Amino acid sequence: MKNIVIGQYAPGKGFFYRLDPRTKIITVVFLMVAVFLLESILQVSIALFVTLFLMIIGKISIGRVAKGLRPLFVLLLFTFSFQIFLNREGALLLSQPMNIGLYSLLGVLVLTVLWRLLARFKKFKGLLFLFWLAGVYALFAYLPAIGPIFKVFDFEIYESGVVTSIFVVVRLLIVISLSTVLTLTTKPTDLTQGLESLLRPLKRLGVNSDDFALIISISLRYIPTILDEANKIMLAQASRGADFNEGKLVEKVKQIVSLLIPMFIIAFKRSEDLADAMESRNFVPGKPRTRIHELSFGMTDLVTAIFTVLVFAGAIVLRVLP
Amino acid sequence: MVMQLSFLEIRNLSFSYNQKRMVLKHIDLSVEKGEWIAILGHNGSGKSTLAKTIVGLLRPAEGSITVDGTLLSDETAYDIRRKVGIVFQNPDNQFVGVTVKDDIAFGMENLSVPRAEMIEKIAFFAEKVGMAEYLEKEPSALSGGQKQRIAIAGILAMKTDMIIFDEATSMLDPTSRRELMDYIRELHDEGLTVLMITHDIEEALMADRLVVLKDGAVFADDTAEHLFKRPEAFREAYLELPAALKIYYELEAAGDMTPPLATTLWRFGSGK
Ligand SMILES: Nc1ncnc2c1ncn2[C@@H]1O[C@H](COP(=O)(O)OP(=O)(O)O)[C@@H](O)[C@H]1O
Ligand SMILES: [Mg+2]
Repeated sequence: MKNIVIGQYAPGKGFFYRLDPRTKIITVVFLMVAVFLLESILQVSIALFVTLFLMIIGKISIGRVAKGLRPLFVLLLFTFSFQIFLNREGALLLSQPMNIGLYSLLGVLVLTVLWRLLARFKKFKGLLFLFWLAGVYALFAYLPAIGPIFKVFDFEIYESGVVTSIFVVVRLLIVISLSTVLTLTTKPTDLTQGLESLLRPLKRLGVNSDDFALIISISLRYIPTILDEANKIMLAQASRGADFNEGKLVEKVKQIVSLLIPMFIIAFKRSEDLADAMESRNFVPGKPRTRIHELSFGMTDLVTAIFTVLVFAGAIVLRVLP
Repeated sequence: MVMQLSFLEIRNLSFSYNQKRMVLKHIDLSVEKGEWIAILGHNGSGKSTLAKTIVGLLRPAEGSITVDGTLLSDETAYDIRRKVGIVFQNPDNQFVGVTVKDDIAFGMENLSVPRAEMIEKIAFFAEKVGMAEYLEKEPSALSGGQKQRIAIAGILAMKTDMIIFDEATSMLDPTSRRELMDYIRELHDEGLTVLMITHDIEEALMADRLVVLKDGAVFADDTAEHLFKRPEAFREAYLELPAALKIYYELEAAGDMTPPLATTLWRFGSGK
């Protein structure tokens, strides 16, 4: 628990690390919008290649970015299936009659059990899932119609379904990769400071970005402390016989409550102490302060800004042209 | 009338959290510049409350606090906190910065110290508390004693004249505690005014003067030598004497004291 990493930041030396966080935030936002202006598969594919190319230039390991994509795998898959099944326009590409019957359902059951058993080998999780999907498809499509049959239907895929699903997924991939590059190459503190600086004009509307940034940076600072504490409480409860991994649902809920209550009490005490410590060091909410971290806009930032403007303009032109 | 005021002057100070029970009762206390005062008291005697009242975190019900000639009020609290800082008990709950550097900077940022000056001072005061190599470290990589040293550096960087330590060593292991006390002694030798709040008598004995609080009132205010002439004062204030001193008094009562034994025990007990 000692050296927990906050956020995704991975120290490195590439081009992206030298950029001012403000440039990075604005660039990423504009590039995302630009990607959403694109309309054809060709365009988004080119955009994907450009993104990959930029990552290679910036010496960002594509493996790291892919790792960041992993938790979003389900979202990508869902988006993909949603489009491919529900979009019924264009030419019919595939029409496969399917039977759902007693035996095919039993087959699905066996397949699922097998899948869950094999899922322990964590390495091939995604691959296994695809195999399972293919298996289910094969069972419904090719198992001879013997035994009781509950439902017969045609499984159809249309051209526009395929096109749109690929389009949407590629677009999502780019957007997620962009934000991953941002969080991978920017320290959380720099990120909040960049945000603070960008939100400064909101001060006129009564939003104090300075305090906002401080709140975020203090939260970030206390995440490891709180996790550490959770660990200690869990150990203490475990030494009194609590088991956080096993037991029925009710037991589990009880154990989680036994963890949360002390954590809340400690958190309240902590926030009181922290408020005293901050006030005793002359912190006054909303009062202007100087900052030890300084943001500086340099040559690389200028180049990046010009690049972004060009890409953005290009996307608009593509959109507007007939 | 010309009267020489002490650096810290507390007059007839009373405080209550809820208007019902007074937590501080008519406290009078003065601390000279460069003095080292220990405040001793049982749990709940009001030590932390007193510390917070001195820097204006709590508003007194009655009485006055004057620091370096400035009377504490809502308007002057800001100026008084530039002169008096507090190191609190829990090292984790007062570390504001994401890194050591940020934390030392926090107080100066609040005072709007220019950035170049901040960088200079951070280097200087980190060096002073022996944490120069740790500037980029995060608090989770530091021990409790190191965090307390960073807290001291952050306060010193605000050009503070006096630091209140509110049981600042009580959550540390014996080695870190000794180390921290050594640092504080060094700072005191360089002119820092120290108000050491503790319930550890051995720690209190390093002070020029001991102030004993009992149930929110000043029970005794004297030098260590005088106070230890009447050990019953400690018992009456619910304070535990160190073992060596207990033996010393037992032997003395029995009339069995050989002079060398007496001095040895006294040295042990008082840490002098
Ligand atoms: N925030 C608070 N609200 C109400 N009562 C408090 C608060 N903090 C402390 N007290 C009470 O004030 C008394 C003195 O507390 P404190 O100053 O923390 O004592 P010490 O630091 O000597 O242990 C105790 O009886 C305590 O219960
Ligand atoms: Mg206390």
